[in-house]
Amino acid sequence: MLELRNVSKRFSGIAAVDDVNFCARPGEVTGYLGPNGSGKSTTMKMITGLIEMSAGQILFEGKPIQDDLMAYKARLGYVPEEPYLYTHLSGAEYLTMVAQLRNLPARQSMERIDGMLRLFSLRDDRHASISGYSKGMRQKILLIAALMHNPQLILLDEPFSGLDVASSLVLRSLIQELAARGKVVLFSSHELDTVERICSRVVILHHGKLVADDSIERLRSLMELPTLERIFSQLAVEQDTESMAKQIADLIHA
Amino acid sequence: MHSLIEKLISRLPLDFRILCRQFLLRVIDLEALSIQADVTGFLGQFAGVLIMLSLVHAFVTYAGYMSFPDAADRLAFCMHVEHYLIATMMLVVGLFTVLSWDATFPDRRDVMVLSPLPVAPHTILFAKVSASAVVLGLAILTLNCGSGIVVPFLVGVLHGSMWGFYQSLAAYWISIVGASVFLYCSVLTIQGFTALLLPRRVFLRLSAVLQLAAFGLFLAVYFLQPSFTNPVALADPQNHWILASSPSYWFFALFNQLNGTLPAELSWLAGRAWMGLAIAICGAAASLLLCYMRTMKKTIEEPDLVPGARGLHWMPSFGGSLQAAIALFSIRSLTRSRQHRVAFSFYLAFVFGIALNLLRDELASPGPSQVSVDLLMPTFMMMTFAVFGLRSVFALPVSLTANWVLRTTQVRSPEQYIAATRGSLLLFAALPSWLLSAGLAYGFRPAGQVAAHLAILGLLGWILSELCLIEFYKVPFTCSYLPGKSNIQLVFWAFFIVCLPLAVWIANVELDALHHLWKFACLAAVFAAIALGLFGYNRFRARSAVLYFEELPEEVITTLKLSA
Repeated sequence: MLELRNVSKRFSGIAAVDDVNFCARPGEVTGYLGPNGSGKSTTMKMITGLIEMSAGQILFEGKPIQDDLMAYKARLGYVPEEPYLYTHLSGAEYLTMVAQLRNLPARQSMERIDGMLRLFSLRDDRHASISGYSKGMRQKILLIAALMHNPQLILLDEPFSGLDVASSLVLRSLIQELAARGKVVLFSSHELDTVERICSRVVILHHGKLVADDSIERLRSLMELPTLERIFSQLAVEQDTESMAKQIADLIHA
Repeated sequence: MHSLIEKLISRLPLDFRILCRQFLLRVIDLEALSIQADVTGFLGQFAGVLIMLSLVHAFVTYAGYMSFPDAADRLAFCMHVEHYLIATMMLVVGLFTVLSWDATFPDRRDVMVLSPLPVAPHTILFAKVSASAVVLGLAILTLNCGSGIVVPFLVGVLHGSMWGFYQSLAAYWISIVGASVFLYCSVLTIQGFTALLLPRRVFLRLSAVLQLAAFGLFLAVYFLQPSFTNPVALADPQNHWILASSPSYWFFALFNQLNGTLPAELSWLAGRAWMGLAIAICGAAASLLLCYMRTMKKTIEEPDLVPGARGLHWMPSFGGSLQAAIALFSIRSLTRSRQHRVAFSFYLAFVFGIALNLLRDELASPGPSQVSVDLLMPTFMMMTFAVFGLRSVFALPVSLTANWVLRTTQVRSPEQYIAATRGSLLLFAALPSWLLSAGLAYGFRPAGQVAAHLAILGLLGWILSELCLIEFYKVPFTCSYLPGKSNIQLVFWAFFIVCLPLAVWIANVELDALHHLWKFACLAAVFAAIALGLFGYNRFRARSAVLYFEELPEEVITTLKLSA
């Protein structure tokens, strides 16, 4: 289980994440939602150990992750929000490098990389430079790199970004399958329909603070709202969206 | 003067000025600099080194000139210096073209960013050419600011009149600028027509090969071409083909023609300079125009994804998986990233320059040479440039934003990462340099002394690699350290004041040791002890080290300073 206890992160005195507490359990897909700038990606980066917390504690299977960060990283798979990759490498070279860095046995990693490239329809382009890959192709490389070592904790920050319909459907099923096999999956997205379909629980962040942490069913009944979109709008959207759209159109004299 | 230039610049179209400023910063790849680099300061330091070199050269020329008592010897000396200056200027411009490879042609980024905007292709073309011309002009000016006055003055004195000085001054600058423009335009012509004639994806692959080939050619010609600067050697029919095929001699003849000191039978050589210059300028203009008219469209139409090479993708084993990952990442970054290739080429220029010089001396000698400082010193220098060069290129980040993957996959101790970096330094710098030295030492005797020197050289390579690893708790190509943060002038002069005398001293000590077994044993033991000591120190420090990854700074707003 992944547990965040009173986690905060401040940048130059401004709280990006403020006293956040939640748990992500094995066998569940936990949705992590919030508007732009709410602190989702910052939280993800703290969970991966990329940035340090200003306060609080992150525990995985009951132990603070800082106690043995390397052992923790060996069990972690992470897909970042932006598909930043070493673009001078080919897809196959990048994945092989990640496997080598993770100290996976050569034969096993080759089999996994080859199989996943084939399943993600990237096998024919595996020797092409990543600089020529589309956003969707880069996203697939990130997914393969995050999953090839069979991690126990999977952090997905906007994993559907750039993927085509078929790949999105595969990924949706894959996330559910991985959770069903006992993985801890923390999934951040703006696609509320997808979140509603695959997540058992959602955590909603607004201005760095936790505003909801419950199952979607319970949130629906508690707030007496039919969809996650309506729940999210009520909790985390301050603007009148229709009026804003009108103002923009007026501004450009459309 | 400053306000006049500003007034003139302000009359240029705004889009041209904006683009020119952007391209000016991209002529030399400034993305290679540290994120904390002071760009203006860095370029200023570089210019300072060139100006200082020119002033030192002017002083040495003056001292050399004064050491000859009669006018004929002085003229011969001046001619030798003039040819050397033209050849050196051509080498500098040649290396500049390697550094700014493709900078004058439209790349994909330009096409994708500028095509949707109302900017005419000819504005982009003029802005790019202007940016290159500004940098090239500054390089010519700084490198000749001292010798460009002193040499014409000394040659003018021999004319015996003030008019003679002006004539020599004009001859000097016309021939230097002409030689620079000729070389720059020739490279542009070759690049442009290659881009036009070949399919784009083939061109992109060939361009990197051409870049390295040009780099090797400029160095080889500079170091291997013989020097004929007296009228007898110039008129010798045996040297005809060398003169006819060496542009530096064409422009040397041009200088003499304008200076009024060219023998009539060599006027064809000056004619070649004029003709070569005209052809190069026309070729460059035509290829650039055609490139902007044709390849900008072609660049958009080309598919994004270039299929990778089919067939064999075998790579040699580099040891453990971490060593393999770091070694492969290093070699791929070095060979595929333009900025890293170019930066490493800068250091390799010194290595190959020294090697070619040594080779020239070997070829000139009739039989095997005796082991002397002439072998020891250059091989020490080659090893030093190769190892320190690679170490400084390791400090150029390939993509700071992609470093997250190395951080999230760090499942082994920093000690192992540092060991892997050591392996890459030894494999890609010390070993090739040692092998090159071994090849060059083949023509030296006795073989026992050569073998002993190679053993010392190997130990030196290890010592230098360990020195490079002190406090270097980083994965290669993930953090910026140099250039941009270092003081170029300090490094440059420290090298001349400290490293060169040190290398000479070590070479002399070694030469003495090579003749006495016990002295050699002591020297080898000292080198081995230093190497082992540094190795132990680095291993000890690495145990408590934390790998450092440089982060991009928080976003800042950069203004284009367009208002007012």
